[in-house]
Amino acid sequence: MRLLRDLGRRKLRSALTITGITIGIMALVVFGSMANKIDALVKGGSTYYQDKVTVSAKGGYMGLGGVLSTKMADQIEALDGVALAVPTVDMLQSDDSGAVNMGVPPMIDGFVGGATAGYETFKLSYATGRGLTAADEGQNVVVLGSDLAHQFNARVGDTVTLRAVKFQVVGILEPTLTAPDNAAEVPLAAAQQLFMKTLPSIVADKLSGGEIATGIVAYPKAGVDPQKIADEINASISGVTPMTGKDFDKQIGSATSMLNAILIGIGLISLLVGGLSVINTTAMSVAERTREIGIKRAIGASRWRIRREIVAESAFIGLVGGLLGLALGYAITTLGNDAGRESATILFDLTFGTAFSSVAFATILGALAGFIPAWGASRMDPVTALRYE
Amino acid sequence: MAILEGRNLRKTYRLSRKNTVEALKGVEVSIEKGEMVAIMGPSGSGKSTLMHILGLLHAPDPNHGPAPELYLSGENVATLSDNARTRIRARRMGFVFQDFNLVPTLTALENVLLASTYAGIRGKQARQAGLEALTLVGLADRADHKPAELSGGEQQRVAIARALVNKPEIILADEPTGNLDSDRSAEVLALFRQFNREHGQTVVVVTHDSEVGEACDRVIRMRDGRIRDHGQNVAQVADAPATATPLVAVPV
Repeated sequence: MRLLRDLGRRKLRSALTITGITIGIMALVVFGSMANKIDALVKGGSTYYQDKVTVSAKGGYMGLGGVLSTKMADQIEALDGVALAVPTVDMLQSDDSGAVNMGVPPMIDGFVGGATAGYETFKLSYATGRGLTAADEGQNVVVLGSDLAHQFNARVGDTVTLRAVKFQVVGILEPTLTAPDNAAEVPLAAAQQLFMKTLPSIVADKLSGGEIATGIVAYPKAGVDPQKIADEINASISGVTPMTGKDFDKQIGSATSMLNAILIGIGLISLLVGGLSVINTTAMSVAERTREIGIKRAIGASRWRIRREIVAESAFIGLVGGLLGLALGYAITTLGNDAGRESATILFDLTFGTAFSSVAFATILGALAGFIPAWGASRMDPVTALRYE
Repeated sequence: MAILEGRNLRKTYRLSRKNTVEALKGVEVSIEKGEMVAIMGPSGSGKSTLMHILGLLHAPDPNHGPAPELYLSGENVATLSDNARTRIRARRMGFVFQDFNLVPTLTALENVLLASTYAGIRGKQARQAGLEALTLVGLADRADHKPAELSGGEQQRVAIARALVNKPEIILADEPTGNLDSDRSAEVLALFRQFNREHGQTVVVVTHDSEVGEACDRVIRMRDGRIRDHGQNVAQVADAPATATPLVAVPV
């Protein structure tokens, strides 16, 4: 292949330029995968919270924070437009997890299995085993998210320890790319007991374990705007913060789209540098081959053909750099996810779209970078080019 | 019949804002079909410029005085676009330059085939023509060698094969023997002579080597951007071409 022979004339230079593109595409693939993962997390959350109102104690968020009473669920259910309200107990799996964590930290989610059947639209499917049922109340059983199951290396029937209490695994979820991947679902009563142990005894003594909730999830009747229910809750119940899907999108969505923009921006900047080095390399090889271009023009190569030769070469640099960058990026994201699995921290989601567009982008960038020197070369006077020393 | 006919050919090169060189000062020239012509003259006489215009590498200046005319087999080519001139160069002309100018990454055959590609000939047919051209210049066994693996004389013969591969009507050579010793020069000249005789190709050689001039049918002498002497075709005068030009046997 002539193109390879031409690139082989200056092996070190070609290799360095390809390396530049490789690094840029690697950055784009890695950061792009990270952005994909964040997107999936946020999209999952957005879908989950869309059709309901999640009530937390004042200052809390997403059903986390201070202590509520399960009785409040009845109070909210009695409100106009509310179809169902159920108590939940959510807490971190360990007090120090989540300190350095992107996305959602590993959680314990307590609820009465099946209580929201017919209302909850966020469908979970089970890789193995089954979901929680009302009959599980009083038992120490758990359904693990897919990442968490990896972390515990647990199968259905195994026993795992959550906050120093042993639970028997009855089901493992399919990956969702969002919060449930990192969650341990337990019966409400079991979660209440775990939560009690996290409270200072002076507080715990005053509470009845069976009445504890950290959040109330309210499902509107068909056709009722969740915002209306949130307003009602604000008006009639004090000491709580209701959150609708819109609130979630506003607060989490905007923050993450900013983060994504920064991540993609870093990738693009490194690519820009790579692209400039392609321009430089191509311009240099065009200068070295001035006489050759002159002779080709003299014996009948059209301007278009000269341009095409040069652009093909720089596009090839882009393609090779893109493929190498994708390979490196794939290695990094795979190794990163494997390493993160231990702590249930899955940072990357390398999609086909990201992989394909990165390589296509590198190739187009290479071609565009080559076009500048190619244009100049094709405009050279053949006689002048022939005499070039 | 004239294959190339030019009138009012002028060319001024602008070296800088104030410094211009009048390389051709209104030249009238005619080259007959099947002639082997040398254009001679001292450096700066305009002989290369004339060859570049005759070879459609440059267009004559269109302004300052009477309009230039240039006919290739009767067709006016003085004002053609760059693309049209490129097409004519590819299909109807062959070029040989002083510095051989082969592409270093390509083999001898690939260098020859460049000219075929530009003329729109590809595949088996092109390959066969390329090998034939290399055989004609005595380099069939060097087809797969890169220029660096060939001697100067061999490189120039590859360049000649490249100029011949499309069987062009005209071959234009700019100091083709300038970088060769006298034996290699004789070989190259003998090749031109052979194609001229056997295939009726018109050959225009720019040179300041008087031996090259003597080997040609006619010598056009230039000085200061003008033709001083159009010369006489010795072949026609003597009517005995074989003895008019002493030839060296081609060692192929």
